[in-house]
Amino acid sequence: MKKKAALLMVMAVMTSSMAAGGVTALADDSGDKTTISFWHYMSSDKEGKYVQEAVDEFNAAQDEIFVEAQYLPREELMKQYTIGVVSGELPDVGMVDNPDHNSYASMGVFEDITDLYTSSDDQNFLEGSIGSCYYEEKLYGVPWGNNCLGLFYNTAMLEEAGIEVPTTWSELEAACEKLTTDTCKGMAISAIGNEEGTFQYMPWLLSAGGSVDELGSDASKESMTYLYSLIEKGYISKECINWTQADAEKQFASGQAAMMINGPWQFAGLSEDAPDLEYGVAKMPKADDGDYASILGGENLGICTGANVDAAWTFISWITSKEKSQEICKSIGRFSPRADVDAQQMFADDPLNSVFAEIMPDAQSRGPSPDWPEISAAIYTAQQEVFTGQKDVDTAMNDAQATVDALK
Amino acid sequence: MKTKSREQRERMLGYFFILPAVIYMLVFIGYPIVYNWIISFQDVTATTLASSARDFVGFDNYKAVFADSTFQKALLHTFIYTVGCLVIQFSLGFLFAMFFAKKFTVSKPIRGFIVISWMLPVTVTALVFKFMFAEGNGIINTILMNLHIIKEPIGWLLNGSTAMWGLIIANSWVGIPFNMLLLTTGLNNIPADVYEAASIDGASGLQKFRKITLPLLKPTIMSVLILGFVLTFKVFDLVYVMTGGGPVDATEVLSTYSYKLSFQLFHFGEGSAVANVLFVCLFIVALIYLKTISKDEVI
Repeated sequence: MKKKAALLMVMAVMTSSMAAGGVTALADDSGDKTTISFWHYMSSDKEGKYVQEAVDEFNAAQDEIFVEAQYLPREELMKQYTIGVVSGELPDVGMVDNPDHNSYASMGVFEDITDLYTSSDDQNFLEGSIGSCYYEEKLYGVPWGNNCLGLFYNTAMLEEAGIEVPTTWSELEAACEKLTTDTCKGMAISAIGNEEGTFQYMPWLLSAGGSVDELGSDASKESMTYLYSLIEKGYISKECINWTQADAEKQFASGQAAMMINGPWQFAGLSEDAPDLEYGVAKMPKADDGDYASILGGENLGICTGANVDAAWTFISWITSKEKSQEICKSIGRFSPRADVDAQQMFADDPLNSVFAEIMPDAQSRGPSPDWPEISAAIYTAQQEVFTGQKDVDTAMNDAQATVDALK
Repeated sequence: MKTKSREQRERMLGYFFILPAVIYMLVFIGYPIVYNWIISFQDVTATTLASSARDFVGFDNYKAVFADSTFQKALLHTFIYTVGCLVIQFSLGFLFAMFFAKKFTVSKPIRGFIVISWMLPVTVTALVFKFMFAEGNGIINTILMNLHIIKEPIGWLLNGSTAMWGLIIANSWVGIPFNMLLLTTGLNNIPADVYEAASIDGASGLQKFRKITLPLLKPTIMSVLILGFVLTFKVFDLVYVMTGGGPVDATEVLSTYSYKLSFQLFHFGEGSAVANVLFVCLFIVALIYLKTISKDEVI
């Protein structure tokens, strides 16, 4: 019997060890100040440094509120929100990826701040950016920073091959053909089975005239057919289905890809990984009979349920104010979501960022929809099915449309 | 009469001593399991997660899950993965154990060396194997190409059919030393004089193995297999890091699918239902084990 009990215990420990550990709150060492916590996913070695600097500045500038900033990897942070809704352990201020904001708002992670916002005298956010913070016509946060996708190219490789920077899909294909060698692929993309894969696919879909609501349409299918043809011909590595955007950056930095699709937040990484690499940035090539398109990425800040709302709002409105937003966004490779910050002027002396500043107005947002995670899953699954040859383009895209239709 | 009350008192004292452990188990192990069962019978999605009054929907989550083709694949994959790993790691682990039970000069250092792979964090193992299996410049393809065994590089983790093998190989690398270690201990516990007696009676090596080693090692073998099954069946980190359940859903197993349903698609009810299927499978295995060891009390 004893043996039985002991065994059951062992079994129970094993089966229950799947449960994840929680994050314990940091100790408060701020004296009389009100302490609020701020969780973000700006990784601590690159962007995180600048976030901490801004927080330190806020803490020094006044003596009522002390902000404790805490970095968590994106996936971990999202899991903490979900767990926090049930356990009640949420930060005061939290960062969220903008397509996910709706889902977490519907889950009850964030406080409704509609009244605080409408009664404030600072409402100068870009419509597309603040739009992602609304759920059922109530406001659950404000935008923190924006980004979008463009084409990075290795200047030396393009010169050697004697080609211009491609602007259309046929030019891109021709360029890839010339640039692909035994040791170097024409282009690197991320087609991984998560939000990043969907994010990277969206510009192709939009440029061809396709849309999320009509994944089964001819235009939508055309974009998938085109991308798959680049993989089939060996211009893009098949391994892209396991690559994150950071992995694509590593390929480009190490000279294993002559071009890549990526965003302005990679500048910091590129200068670290390949300080001598000469590269340029351009708009993503457009479909031969389509328009330039890009996708809006970025993060929002929200006040979490049960937080110290007043203190949190003081901090948020400070850090998203015109002056601060401009300063932080510039250092972390984001574009300010504020209408009163002129990105073109801000990056006038920066040839790489100014290209992205030009792309930004064309960038379309994902959602907003509380069902976005499922829509996104339908898109990246279709992409993976096609790229691995499990389904042909027609079947995969029709199936994806059926999944999206079922959500309505 | 007096002795009995003393006995009772001692028994009470005994219960008192195990109380902390019991409370710990109820709170930290019992509660999550019970909670998981409860939400698997509720309609828990993004919008209802925070509310306290969630609808009970009976077996709806289980019905939805069992009708879901990805779940069926995940269940099948979990068994394929477990059986594949068990066969490889047990047979090779057994061979190694027999080998190292012969006490030659460097057997102990080498045995210690092999165990290193078991002590590495699984995430590290998974990352190392992910790089080794890479299509373009992974060491496995490079070696096979140079030996002219294959002509074209194989995308090990990029094809559904080979990705599962990649996982099984990576896990066996960890599982072999684990099996070896336990089986070596078992082998060392078999008294040497039994073998001596058999030798005097003129038994051959194979006979000694079949008539002495195997029967005397049976309890150890059972424990190794059951422990191996449990540890392999609930795999999460290795799959999550190496393939993330992909390509598409070719290596999706129960634990990764449960995680995906809960934390990526916010179908918490269905995610819990999948986790409970995993739980039930392991529980059945545990019961089978209890049954077998209560039959022959050898150790």
